[in-house]
Amino acid sequence: MGLENKLPNGVLLTNLERFVSYSRSTSMWPATFGLACCAIEMMAAGGPRHDIGRFGMEVFRASPRQADLMIVAGRVSQKMAPVLRRIYDQMSDPKWVLSMGVCATSGGMFNNYALVQGVDHVVPVDMYVPGCPPRPEMLLDGILKLREQVRTSTFAELADQS
Amino acid sequence: MSVPTQPPTPRPDDELWVEGADWESVVDAVDDERLTVNMGPQHPSTHGVLRLLLELDGEIVEKLQPLIGYLHTGIEKNAEYRAWHQGPTFFTRMDYVAPLYNEHAFCLAVEKLLDIRVPERAEVARIILLEFNRIASHLIWLATGGMELGATTVMTMGFGLREHILDLFESQSGLRMNHAFFRPGGIANDLTDDFEARCEALLEMIPPKMRDFEDLLRRNPIFNDRLRDVGYIDADTCLAYGVTGPILRAAGVPWDLRKTQPYGGYERYDFEVPTSDLADCWGRFEVRVAEIDQSMRIIRQALDQLPAGRVMVEDKHIAWPSQQSLGADGVGNDPEYIRHIMGESMEALINHFKLVTQGFTVPPGQVYLPVESPRGELGYAVTSTGTNKPYRVHVREPSFVNLQAADVMSRGGSVSDVIVIVASLDPIMGGVDR
Amino acid sequence: MSDQSPAAEPLAETPAQPDPAHAPATIAGTVGPPLSHEALTLAVLERFPNVRTHVHRGELTFFVAPEQVVDLLTFCRDADEFDCALLSDLSGVHFPAGEHVIERQVSTTGWPEHRVSRDVGVVEVLYVLRSITRNHWFRVSVAVSDVEGESRLPTVTHLFPTANFHEREVFDMFGVVFDGHPNLERILMPEDWLGHPHRKDYPLGGVDITYKNDKFIPSPHERDLREIVE
Repeated sequence: MGLENKLPNGVLLTNLERFVSYSRSTSMWPATFGLACCAIEMMAAGGPRHDIGRFGMEVFRASPRQADLMIVAGRVSQKMAPVLRRIYDQMSDPKWVLSMGVCATSGGMFNNYALVQGVDHVVPVDMYVPGCPPRPEMLLDGILKLREQVRTSTFAELADQS
Repeated sequence: MSVPTQPPTPRPDDELWVEGADWESVVDAVDDERLTVNMGPQHPSTHGVLRLLLELDGEIVEKLQPLIGYLHTGIEKNAEYRAWHQGPTFFTRMDYVAPLYNEHAFCLAVEKLLDIRVPERAEVARIILLEFNRIASHLIWLATGGMELGATTVMTMGFGLREHILDLFESQSGLRMNHAFFRPGGIANDLTDDFEARCEALLEMIPPKMRDFEDLLRRNPIFNDRLRDVGYIDADTCLAYGVTGPILRAAGVPWDLRKTQPYGGYERYDFEVPTSDLADCWGRFEVRVAEIDQSMRIIRQALDQLPAGRVMVEDKHIAWPSQQSLGADGVGNDPEYIRHIMGESMEALINHFKLVTQGFTVPPGQVYLPVESPRGELGYAVTSTGTNKPYRVHVREPSFVNLQAADVMSRGGSVSDVIVIVASLDPIMGGVDR
Repeated sequence: MSDQSPAAEPLAETPAQPDPAHAPATIAGTVGPPLSHEALTLAVLERFPNVRTHVHRGELTFFVAPEQVVDLLTFCRDADEFDCALLSDLSGVHFPAGEHVIERQVSTTGWPEHRVSRDVGVVEVLYVLRSITRNHWFRVSVAVSDVEGESRLPTVTHLFPTANFHEREVFDMFGVVFDGHPNLERILMPEDWLGHPHRKDYPLGGVDITYKNDKFIPSPHERDLREIVE
């Protein structure tokens, strides 16, 4: 549970809010949820050319308890969906989900029995990054836009999240 | 059951005194329990969504059961609802680390059914790009394998070098991964003018970086200890489990489909099939590093042989309109071709329309076409009933089959060896689950 | 779920030491030259007279009855002139009974509609056998009924342990039951899935793709995902 859930109603803490949101945005740790081809591009985003460490995010935490951001990179099959939900539930607040690639966003080109047609059927998504697979620069763009969203988010919004 | 040694001096009764030699007596007193541990499907070291069920006796693995299906995408069924020329777009996403191999195998299977031969330029270009893809795939194996062992620098180096190869792919096909560049009948576009210069630059760049890898890893005592004598599987067991590729070659069998059952023009190149007698993870490491060298050798020969000419077969009933170049308006329309179909020939327009909307038809039949992918024998069993869509395509993925050997390779080892063994099998879950 | 090891029984079959009489699989062709299609056909017809053969695009296929599969594969593995140590592939193709429409959605794709009809529905199970020492390969095709309950084949995991995963996949995707398989469970779909997806009477699934101005697009929460695209 984040700080926002501990505050009594009706209290405004603008400076603290800005500080906390800024810190959260600049040290977001992603959880490893690389599934398919997008995972390779996500690893390439962590590679030396498109360095995700510039944004403080090269530590991909294996344990969801230590992570803030779940980048769902790849196609989510019917068998994997409960696992995805369980990992999401194990992450502690505040948490964000970035759906990377068209398979995670909407099922992609695989409009069939085997895939969940978009992870937003399973977890709430904050940022969708299309592409098949999205270039690492596109992923970084999505991450930066998400960071901007986090940096300007208020406690009231985040309290609603949980 | 050993008798506990008596302590040298008398001890009070409520003290349990254990010395090193009598550990068995203490352990046997406790019930012998087999612990079942679940690894995955979300796990940092299982190479994707692989779930392993380990039965452990302490730290020793008694049984390993791979549970797969977490990435099943129904690609084979989906391809039955798409035209033949749309097939490569789907199959390329199976083994997403070496996507051109999937496309190549499918295109060769369709070309076999059609009984056509692609132009020579397309054949040589395919081989160059395929061998670069083999190098990129082995680099990913090295990078992720190193990362799983804790050598994170290897990951950075591997991905950094791979980026240059991806630049080449992007310049030719437009995509870094999952290119859908090989089409039945040839390749999608002609190669760019600077293709040969780019390849030469890559061939200059790769050997010093591979020497860096060797310097970093080959005499590293931790790397040696973790890989040597781990995951032993001999040739007969390999064949019984259907294991092909670097694992079979590390067991001493020089079986490489490019040499023994040549396809797609490979018979014209002179290269060796590296093998090792060790049959353990270190042997596989040696084989894969040597294969990178051999791939560069093939590329060098292919570059010398690259002829001019068409890149798509001449037959207008099959050929995807591919001689299109980037126009001044930034759109890929060849003005000559457009002028021809719009202005000059109604039949050409109808043909173009039919080809783009329906695709071509393939005569009925069944083929099985295996290629040597970086993981082993990648086979496409294609069934056609004479329509414009595949009736059934079954993909024999090497990772799917090789995973069965993980059990026999891990028994008797420790849990940390399981990581190394699965890494040395190099499974790509997109291919395993399709 | 049954917990049997997929490798327990087959492991006993593989020899601990390579059998020197059964020459080690070293270089392709050292034990003997590859047999031509005619030689392979003659050798098989000698032992199994009712086997039909077919050569298409340079590939040899033997069509056998379900009862003969194990014997034929045993022969191919153990006979010196065949020496097929590697079962490369085991896959299935479904040819349903009755009239089957190959093309759907004719109105949207504009593709011509193809219909095929058969009296008897079969699942054709294909075995690709390969010899490493002799460098030849061929295919064995078995047609089993596709009716649930009658769709059975004997397993070959005791001959080729690699068939374990392959047979589970054919069971999962086509519904063919392999008698004697140590661990016949679904392998790609979840264990409690109903239906066998690669059969032709199983729909592709997915969601209805709607285009702008085509019809009203409900939000993901309101879509009925049980509606399947035919």
